[in-house]
Formats: sequence, C-alpha cells, structure tokens
Amino acid sequence: MTIGLRLFISSATFAIGIALAYWFTSREIVGTFMLGFMAFALGFVATYMIVAEREANLIGDEREATIEDGAGELVGTYTIRSPLPLAAAAAVTAIGIGIVVSPTIAILALLATIAIGGLFIVQSR
Amino acid sequence: MSAAAPAFVEAPPRNDLLGWLTTTDHKRIGILYLMTSLGYFGVAGLLSLAIRTQLARPNNTFVTPHEYAQLFTLHGTAMIFLFVAPFALGLANFLIPLQIGAADMAFPRLNATSYWMFLFGGLVIFLGAATNEGAAASGWSAYPPLSEIKISTGLGQDLWIVGVFLVSVATILTSINFVTTVFIYRAPGMTMWRIPIFTWEMVATSLLVFMAFPSLAATLLLLFVDRHLGGHAFDPAYGGSPVLWQHLFWFFGHPEVYVMILPYFGVISEIIPVFSRKPIFGYTGLVLAAFAIAGLSMGVWAHHMFTTGFVNNPFFSFVSFLIAVPTGVKFFNWIATMWRGSISFETPMLFAIGFLLNFLIGGITGVMISSPPIDYQAHDSYFVVAHFHYVLGGGSLFAIFAALFFWWPKMFGRKLDESLGRWCFALLFVGFNVTFLPMHAMGILGMPRRVDSYAASGPLPALNLIATCGSYVMLAGVLLFVYNAVVTARAGRPVSNDPWGANSLEWWTSSPPPEHNFDSLPPIRSERPVYDAR
Repeated sequence: MTIGLRLFISSATFAIGIALAYWFTSREIVGTFMLGFMAFALGFVATYMIVAEREANLIGDEREATIEDGAGELVGTYTIRSPLPLAAAAAVTAIGIGIVVSPTIAILALLATIAIGGLFIVQSR
Repeated sequence: MSAAAPAFVEAPPRNDLLGWLTTTDHKRIGILYLMTSLGYFGVAGLLSLAIRTQLARPNNTFVTPHEYAQLFTLHGTAMIFLFVAPFALGLANFLIPLQIGAADMAFPRLNATSYWMFLFGGLVIFLGAATNEGAAASGWSAYPPLSEIKISTGLGQDLWIVGVFLVSVATILTSINFVTTVFIYRAPGMTMWRIPIFTWEMVATSLLVFMAFPSLAATLLLLFVDRHLGGHAFDPAYGGSPVLWQHLFWFFGHPEVYVMILPYFGVISEIIPVFSRKPIFGYTGLVLAAFAIAGLSMGVWAHHMFTTGFVNNPFFSFVSFLIAVPTGVKFFNWIATMWRGSISFETPMLFAIGFLLNFLIGGITGVMISSPPIDYQAHDSYFVVAHFHYVLGGGSLFAIFAALFFWWPKMFGRKLDESLGRWCFALLFVGFNVTFLPMHAMGILGMPRRVDSYAASGPLPALNLIATCGSYVMLAGVLLFVYNAVVTARAGRPVSNDPWGANSLEWWTSSPPPEHNFDSLPPIRSERPVYDAR
C-alpha cells in the first residue's frame, strides 16, 4: 500500500503545483478550476488511503513472502457467472436511449436498473 | 487487511453462448473486449477506406459532403473511443491478474458490466447512422456550434452523446477495477516494484482516466442540456462560449491520447526484452517516465487551442515540450535493451520495431507542432492528421498487432503463423507509410482536414492518390491477419506454457490458462519470476 499511497500523494502534489503555476501564468478560471479539482480528487483518494487503509498489511507487499504465506485465508468469493452485468448494462443503455427517444422508455429502464441493482446486492450476500 | 487468493464459487465451465454472455471471468471479458474492439476497428477501417476513396481524386462524388462529415466523425469516434483505448482495456483485463498472480479482477461483475456498457455504447453511436438525418457529423471532438441543435438537428448527435457517455463511464469503472486489483491482489512477493511494466503502464493509464474522463462526461451532459433543456453554456449569443467546450473537451482529449499510448508503451516494454534476450534496461526509469508523461499530459490540453487566441501559449508550449523528455527516456531504454542483445526477429518484434520507427516520426512532428508558430501554420491541416496517425496508427496500431502476435498463444493456446505474420507486418508497414507520409506534404501545401475535396491543380491530386493506394495496401495486411487467425484456429499447433521464453508470470500457467488462472506459482523475487524459475 505504501507505493499506492505515495502515488496518489505525489500526483495530488503535482496537480496542486501545476494548478498554481497555471493560475499565476494565465489567470484563466476554467483550467485552474479543473486542475484544482483534479488536485482535490487525488488528495481525497490519498486521504482515504491514509485513514482507511493505514492498517493494511498486504502479503503482496512483503518482499520475501512465499506462496504458502498467502494460503489458507479466505477474503471473499468470486462469482464465475452472472446474468446481472449484461442486464444492468442493457438497462443503463436503455435509459440513455430513452432520454433522447422516449421518456417512457427512460423511466421503465430506470426502474429496471434499480431492480437489477437490488439483485446485485442480494447476489452479493 | 491480509489478502490471499480468493476462493472461487465452483461451477462447471460453460463454453456455450450463455457462458460467454454471463461470464465474469477476466480472461473471457478481456477476449470479449479485444474481439469487440477489433470489430469496431474493422468498421472504422472501412469508413476510412470510404474517406480515402472519396479523396482519391479531386471533386469526387463517391459520397456527399454531409455523408463525408459523418464518415470522418464515426471513423474518429470509433478509432478513439471504441478501438485503440478499449483494446488496451481488453489486454489489461486478460493480463493484469495473470501478471500479478491473482485469480481474477477485484470486482468481476463490475468488470463484466463495464464491458457490456462499452459494447452497447459503441452500438448506440453507430445507431445514429440509421436515423433519418444520419449519424453525428460534427467530428469526434464535437465542437459547438457544429454539435449544437441549430446545426446538428438530428438524433444522430444525441445518440453520439449517449454512446460516448456510456463508453466513458465504462472506462472509468474498468480503471477503478485495474487500480484496485493491482494494489490489493498481488501474489505473495509480487511487490509493486516487481510488477511487469505493462501493469505499471495500466496503473498510470487508469490514473489518467480518473483525472480526464469525468471532464468528458460532464461536458457531454452540458452539451445535452444545451441541445434539449435550454442551456446556453456554449452559445455566445446568450453569454456562453464555444471556447469553454474546447477547454473542457481537451482537458479530457489530450490525456486521452496518452490513455491510447501508455498501455502500448507497456506492450513494447514487454516484447523487446523477450526478443532481445535481455532484461529490460532501466525498469525504474520506465515506470517513473510513465508517470511523468501521465502527469505532464494533464497540463497540455490547450495546445490544441493555440490558434483560438484565448490561451496562454507559452505555458502550454513549454509543458508540451517537456513531455518529450520522459518519452525520450523510454526510447532510450528500449534501444538500450536491444543494444548487444541476442535479437530475434519474430513477428511481435517486427511490429515492435515498426512501432519505434513510426512513433518516432509521430513524436517528432508532435514536438514541432508544440511550437505555436509552427502550429499556427499546421493547425487543422493534413500535417496534423499525419502527426496523430503516426502516433496512434503507426504507434498504437503496430503495438496492438505486436500484442496480438505475442499474447495470442497465451489466449488461445495456438501460435499465429509466422510466415503470414511477417507478410502482414510488411503490408501494414509499407501501406501505413505510403498512406500517411504524403499527408505531411499535403498539410504543408495547405490542404485542410475534414474537407471532401481539394484543388485539382498542383501536387495534391497525386499525393492523395498515393495515400489512397496505401490505405488499400493496409487493408490487405489486415485481411491477411484475419486469414492468419482463421488458419491458426483450424490448423494451429498447440503451444507450451511459454512459447517465447518470456519473463512475466502469465507465461507460468497453461496456454490458455485455467479458469482459476494458476495451479501453482513460482517464488517471486524479481520482476522476472518465470525467468528466475527456469
């Protein structure tokens, strides 16, 4: 996690630097806002990693770890197959098409998306 | 938190259509991404042939001007949003868990959802062609006022907005998956400084996606509001500004160029050491250069806007020049890797060398037009068309073919035919350069891009005819690749785990890998664990 955290901190610092450099050389609001927002977003991720993941102890970070060191623990299960991703993507696409073609389609697709989202949650339990 | 390989819900493998439609296996999703993006490449390629056919002679009537505008809009959109970038996502989907010793991506269902959104998004973009007024015709950059409702009155532009929005959201979701997987699911001993360069490049690419794609999504929403909900964000008659669109769009658009090239830097960094029989030169330098390029690319968006007169040209010119430094580091490292290596010229290596030669030309012309005085002359001319095709066609496309030839045995368990592969490379290399090299001259002679005709006198007709001939040579190269794939599928010989004598972890497992990826893993003590174990 150390390198991941370093990555986000250095990216956020770079973004702050370039936002300041851009503002002081250009006085242009749109670009400064976007660079500033980028710095904020990267800083947010870095802060999250500091706060939420400070206890992280990943086996992948240990230089001398063996494969056996990582065995025996279960952190979750994978679903090999699920019809829900296809259904969710189709429903979201129907929302988009519905918005430009027919509001009724959009509303029905939105309801379908919510229902599929619920099924995702049920399947995850 | 301690992470180990998560267990699978055991289920009998399904190879039927339902198995593919419901799969959440990263390898299958990767292959779906690759095949879908290649399908879109086929369509975009045919569109480009129609463009070149129209331009084969001046005042041609192969298509009408409006149809021509639709052709170059769909060609650009498909190549950028549906082929070059998504192909890298497909490759990363297939490779990242294998390269880091994981069983799958961190969020398999999100991964599958991203793929389907990408597929549907692309179809929605093309759906516009079936509407009464045709597909979007405002260019892939959709500048207002061309994309506003007053000019683009049809549904095609709306479907373009929806389709590109879906693709951009899918790309963001996939990138979240990549970064989480790399940070969390590395095998024991696979520290970050041991992950393969391709995986590193995908981390850098994913960071770029996080920073750039939200801007695109927001900009598309603004355009939709302008078109249908009475907004005037880009309408100067009501206090809006088309320049605002350019800022917001290129804040995404230029990093997108690096989203389309960084993964392929990774591909080249994987292939060159294998066929040079040497470890990669300057692993750390390559990684840092990738992040330097990614970071700097966020500060160069307005070099696309030099000629508007509304941007700080020296700032953007300076930062654009700076990008040449880390890119040069990469070039130096690739050449140093080959230097005194025992080089063998199998097809992947030929394409990698083709990449180096073509990308060098694209890179140098990029440095040229980073200079505002030159850009004022070359802007919106065929010189720029030549430049970005050398970067994304000569660069990314050649790396894509290198990747296909290199990882095809791992994906499908059979090696593509070498002899056909060399012919494929020769046709593509010659065809590409015959097509795009003359475009530099066309641009210098003043031929603007996005026009369906040109002056009948002077050298332009001959140059355009040469370029059109080159495009058909490229078509022959692509068809030969398809033939090669079919022949290999029918009569290719099964290969071992590691047919190239490669270095990274994906070559440890069987070809193709089992559903759970690895039956065993070697000790991971360097960035070349398979080499160490040999």
